Amino acid sequence: MKKISYNLLSIIIILVFGFLIFFVSTDGFQAFTAETARTKELIEKKPQFPNVTLEDSKEREYSFSEFSGKYVFVTFIYTACTDVCPELELNMAQVYERIPEQYIGEDIVFLSISFDPERDTPETLEKYRSYFNSDGETWRMARIPDESELKNLLDEFGVVVIPDDSGNFTHNSAFYLVDPQGTLVEVMDYKKIEEAANKVTAILEKKAGEKE
Amino acid sequence: MKQAIYGFVIYIFMMLPPVIVISESNMVIHMHMQMPLLIVIGMLFTPLLKQKFPRFFEKWNANGIPGIILFLIILSYWMIPRMMDEAIASPFVEAWKFISLPFLAGVPLRESWRKLTPFVKKIVYVFIAVLFGLMAWLYIAAPVQLCNNYLISQQKALGWTFLFMGLCLFIYFIHTLFIEDYE
Repeated sequence: MKKISYNLLSIIIILVFGFLIFFVSTDGFQAFTAETARTKELIEKKPQFPNVTLEDSKEREYSFSEFSGKYVFVTFIYTACTDVCPELELNMAQVYERIPEQYIGEDIVFLSISFDPERDTPETLEKYRSYFNSDGETWRMARIPDESELKNLLDEFGVVVIPDDSGNFTHNSAFYLVDPQGTLVEVMDYKKIEEAANKVTAILEKKAGEKE
Repeated sequence: MKQAIYGFVIYIFMMLPPVIVISESNMVIHMHMQMPLLIVIGMLFTPLLKQKFPRFFEKWNANGIPGIILFLIILSYWMIPRMMDEAIASPFVEAWKFISLPFLAGVPLRESWRKLTPFVKKIVYVFIAVLFGLMAWLYIAAPVQLCNNYLISQQKALGWTFLFMGLCLFIYFIHTLFIEDYE
């Protein structure tokens, strides 16, 4: 009889232990992939956009502080990409269209940053830009020529880029929103266009309300 | 004793930094070679541990059910995509993998298996086959990258190996239904 009760006790201990390790390792059953965990952590940490020099499709060079005072909607891409990036950019275009026009360029700028500066020259970006009806002004495409600056930015924003054998990259994708002070405030699922557009519009409306 | 020595040698070998780098460079090798080997290492340690602590196992794992539950929990735990990334990113999680798989999965599996009734063994086969089937579906069908450290092509490859392993287990399970009388 005593043997059985130890057995039962041991089953209970094991089940509790199992529950606990699952609970702790998935942030309370919320983050089963490193990507969800990363997004969660980023939003809590709110990193500052590092000071980088951008070179855009119009061959203009400026630092990120060019956008200070405006929200910046950021994505990370490379133009040779055939799977995720076109989808990411198409979705970005749809978000762009859904944002009320009075805010575009005034309170918010869209920015696609290439992490493949070698191949993504201003000419390439200029061509790529036209595929998505980006005007090159309120939605810019730019590369970061300086490698260490680029690496620093990718690390800060948790973008993991792995080159594969055929000259492509595997990378995680999301919509990033940087506030007028250069702080990352939102990381959004790039597949949920409507949700992202609503969220950004709400933030912009709030900001506009504060101004008045 | 001999088994424990073999186990120990493989254990040390698996811990060598270059071996870790190679065994984690590819998703399939990480999940289907490194992790099972760690479980096997635990199984090799089992006779020695049983010899040293005979009472402990008799008392706490009398009918093998607690042990097999622990095994299944640890097995399922290391199937979470996030754990593979974390094991690469964090040395603590890596250490936890090297401890939990041999001692909380390998040891209880071997310790419990003989104590289990044929019926429970069948449940275990089906559970693992279904789990692998689910994993196969997850890794093959997922439209997004599940592990930030691995390419999508590797993810798909992992899915197919899961399917293969799951199918093998299932075939073995079917086969036990027919040979049961001979056991």
